[in-house]
Amino acid sequence: MHALVQAIILGILTGGVYALMASGQTLIFGIMKVVNLAQGALVVLGAYMTYTLFTQLGIDPFLSILITTPLLFLVGIAVQWALLRPLRGDDLAELSILVTFALALGIEGVLSFVYGATLTNVQPSYANFSWTVFGYQVSLVRFVAFILSLVMLALLYLILQRTKFGRSVRATVQNPMSAQLLGVNANRVSAIGFGLGSATAAAAGSVFGMLNSFNPGSHYDLISRLLTIVVLGGLGSIGGSVVAALVMGVASSVVSALASPIWSDFTFFIVLLLVLLIRPRGLFGARTRGAL
Amino acid sequence: MQLQIHHRGTRGARILAAAAVITAGAIALSGCSGGTAKTTASAPLTIGISLSLTGDFSDSGKAAERGYELWASITNKAGGVLGHKVELTIVDDASNPDQVVTNYTSLITQKKVNLVFGPYSSLLTVPASRVASRYNYAFIEPAGGGPSVFSQKLKNLFFVQPAPTTKGGDVFANYILSLPASQRPKTAAYAKLDDPFSAPIAASIQKRFEAAGIKTVYDQTYPAETSDMTPIMSGVAAAKPDVVVGGSQEADAFAQIKAMIQLKFNPKWLFESNGANSPGDFPAAVGRANTEGVFSSADWYADSTIAGSSKFIADYTAKYGGNAQAIDPTSAEAYSAGMLLDAVAKKTGKVDNATIIKTLHSGTWPTLVGNLSWDQYGAPQGAYLLIQWINGKLTTVYPAKTAQHSPVAPKPHWAG
Amino acid sequence: MKGGITRAGLIRAGVFFVVLIVIPLVGGPGWLLNMLIFTIMYAALASGWNLLGGYAGYPSLGHVAFFGIGAYAIAIPFSGSVGGGFLPFLVLPLVGIGAALVSIPVGWISMRTRSDVFAIVTITLLFITQTLAFNLKGLTGGAQGKSVAPAPFDVGTYDWPFYYAMLVLLAVAMGISFYFRRSKIGLSLATVRADEDKAHGVGVRVTAVKLIAFAVSAGIVAMGGGIWAYYVGFIYPQFAVDPLITIGMVLMAFLGGRGTIWGPVLGAFILVPAQEYFAQAFGASELYLLAYAAVFLVIMLFLPRGILPSISERIRRRRANVAAEESTVAR
Repeated sequence: MHALVQAIILGILTGGVYALMASGQTLIFGIMKVVNLAQGALVVLGAYMTYTLFTQLGIDPFLSILITTPLLFLVGIAVQWALLRPLRGDDLAELSILVTFALALGIEGVLSFVYGATLTNVQPSYANFSWTVFGYQVSLVRFVAFILSLVMLALLYLILQRTKFGRSVRATVQNPMSAQLLGVNANRVSAIGFGLGSATAAAAGSVFGMLNSFNPGSHYDLISRLLTIVVLGGLGSIGGSVVAALVMGVASSVVSALASPIWSDFTFFIVLLLVLLIRPRGLFGARTRGAL
Repeated sequence: MQLQIHHRGTRGARILAAAAVITAGAIALSGCSGGTAKTTASAPLTIGISLSLTGDFSDSGKAAERGYELWASITNKAGGVLGHKVELTIVDDASNPDQVVTNYTSLITQKKVNLVFGPYSSLLTVPASRVASRYNYAFIEPAGGGPSVFSQKLKNLFFVQPAPTTKGGDVFANYILSLPASQRPKTAAYAKLDDPFSAPIAASIQKRFEAAGIKTVYDQTYPAETSDMTPIMSGVAAAKPDVVVGGSQEADAFAQIKAMIQLKFNPKWLFESNGANSPGDFPAAVGRANTEGVFSSADWYADSTIAGSSKFIADYTAKYGGNAQAIDPTSAEAYSAGMLLDAVAKKTGKVDNATIIKTLHSGTWPTLVGNLSWDQYGAPQGAYLLIQWINGKLTTVYPAKTAQHSPVAPKPHWAG
Repeated sequence: MKGGITRAGLIRAGVFFVVLIVIPLVGGPGWLLNMLIFTIMYAALASGWNLLGGYAGYPSLGHVAFFGIGAYAIAIPFSGSVGGGFLPFLVLPLVGIGAALVSIPVGWISMRTRSDVFAIVTITLLFITQTLAFNLKGLTGGAQGKSVAPAPFDVGTYDWPFYYAMLVLLAVAMGISFYFRRSKIGLSLATVRADEDKAHGVGVRVTAVKLIAFAVSAGIVAMGGGIWAYYVGFIYPQFAVDPLITIGMVLMAFLGGRGTIWGPVLGAFILVPAQEYFAQAFGASELYLLAYAAVFLVIMLFLPRGILPSISERIRRRRANVAAEESTVAR
């Protein structure tokens, strides 16, 4: 029983971080109908940036988020402008998937070149510190990461609900053509949307770097999990991806503790397939015309 | 049915036909290139090697490259092998088995090298050794020691480490079982990484412990991508074992220990098959103070007292810079492969593949990683060194003959 | 581009295959055969993928799952011995059919979704298969991998059986490709690709046709995996079910032109040797992944429809211009 509750706690804390990564991904899809296969690579990039800032300049990983987030925001805008905007045609969906995958490979290549393939992680002095709460271990880093994710998700929510830009985004997600007719600049919304998605990846990356060992090839595992989360939550629904992330986090943690860790990733996929059988558009996915 | 002729099609077909003829011609011509594989009096001794210079194994692949090149330059300075200058042809396999097959096929049949050395890791050694065996090339390899390598039953293969990789932890079992029964651990927990080496190392220890009556209170295997060891180590801690055996590689060994520190769980003996044998990475990952008392095993490390080690370190740092603690054992293993070649040449006056295969199958051969001897399928018959972190340094603690210090037990508490 | 068998088409196919058949016989060296084996394999895989991704419009990003299934289907029974050496080749069609049958329920579930979600679901299937390969240790050997007994072929002509097996597979894949285009199936698939709901409305047997495409492409890819396993001799889960293989297939089909017969083949014959070159030229400086990604991006941005369709588009336009000129002149 103890192990079960411990697993659930761990699952919730981990799920929060995944929620942050997944929210960026689902936002990008909602706006541009682009599946960003580079989201995992952007997280790893964020982790390496944090690593460098920490080891070379001694900047605390949590504080470095203030640097990496704006940086990757700009990178995201640049990527959208250079690589995604020029794509045309009815194959936009497939082409964009492949382009973002190429981007992921490119990021992996650059990171391999600069950092090599050894697994690294970010080790601030408090990395091993944990509290004991009612007999359960709660790691400091995980807890702060969870709170941070909540804060950033709240920020994202505020942006989407309270700002003009946010309204444009929501309009574009609901009905791109009407939004354009009403004067929303689709290109600008897409660019900033991709920027935001990358920014969330940066924030999550700093945290990811502290919790996991990573190398340039780690993005494959990440993206497979992120994809299952966003599809489960419903492509385009940020709230859905948060719920899905928590569900997946808890499910895989429990399976890991009760059965065996080698099946924990498997749970992700099985849960996804089961849900898709019943609800092909995911838990909170909107019904859109044509595809989906 | 009427066959229609399209102008475009005819033109396209003609172009294609022309291209085909040119290609066929080029192929026929290239097939005629290449010299013979014999070494004449002053011809260089060409050795082909496929290494993982990119991809997952790139760090170790590059370490192997440094070891091979260091050996080649030292040997050439001393006049080469039997008067022939050594020329290494190193190609990148990007840590990919398909590429490694292509590389060795190309090295042997196109570049027609005289000899080959092995690539990095058992994953790549297995397909590579098959290619070499097909062409009757000796296959001296420093980095493929998993069971899949020896189960191929190849007669041309020699693994340049003291024992098959899965026996890497046996020396720890030797130590524990050498203790009087009252001082031994009563219970043991095993955390095993699911890869061809790590889990078997722990399993090998587990078999001997269980036979000796040490009860297994926790046994879990986890996949390679597991980043969070907390759930597993929680299970370990809850079982309160006397000894914890980690069948691990670097990243997960570090994660295991960090989880144990967080959980404030300190076993009396802790053995990690990898990770803790890395003089630089381990203290960096868990904190210098937390390394105290952790056991691991190795074939070579910077403070090793094996003959030739200090000269190797001196030559290495002269050529590549850096300090001794940063030298990857893979470089020493690769260097040792070259040493074997020198030894065969010195003993027999010949250095062709058939001679190498015949000669290395008997006797004991001194290298940087110990005195090596092999069974008929290339499995080395020795044992690794048991090392422990004592006062912030890796120290050989068992067997007593080569130990620099006696083992420290029980393990001191984590510094946090 | 549709239509019957053209004399030009036959010449094209004839020359292509005759050249490839003859290469080993005139003394093509081991390294060349080795490279061609992988090239032809990818050409067959890409052609197989094309049936689903190109003709039917369902871009599967997880097709390598079937490659892995085919690989293990050959490795497991032939782990101990391969009889005279040709037994695995004889068993191969069974592997293909078996994989096709297994893929039907998988296809049915996954094709309930469309385009983007379909791509993601197939990625999921890829990882599921990989996980199963790792975890079902008793069957697959898990992370330790599975060996195939060495083939007792003569050293001088060792590669030949594998080479010709791959060539036959390519011919089969291209033949099926050609048949699909000419037949009612191809027409149905084209309508499905254009607008599935409308196709349904018009009375096209959408589900049946989609499943046929899925199953056949799965079977072809699985057979490729089977020959590969036998050739390489030892398979590990992460290499038998490797995302980069899927991407390779997809990229080659895209490069050459999806929905065409020769497109995937052209794509393979360009990319596989190019990748070899990149790995050797840039390998040591770790830039080869970057070069690969760059090629990828260039193709996506400048040749989004692939080489062959772009060429035929240009030719058609030129001919239309010429015709327009001629008609103005001829007045």
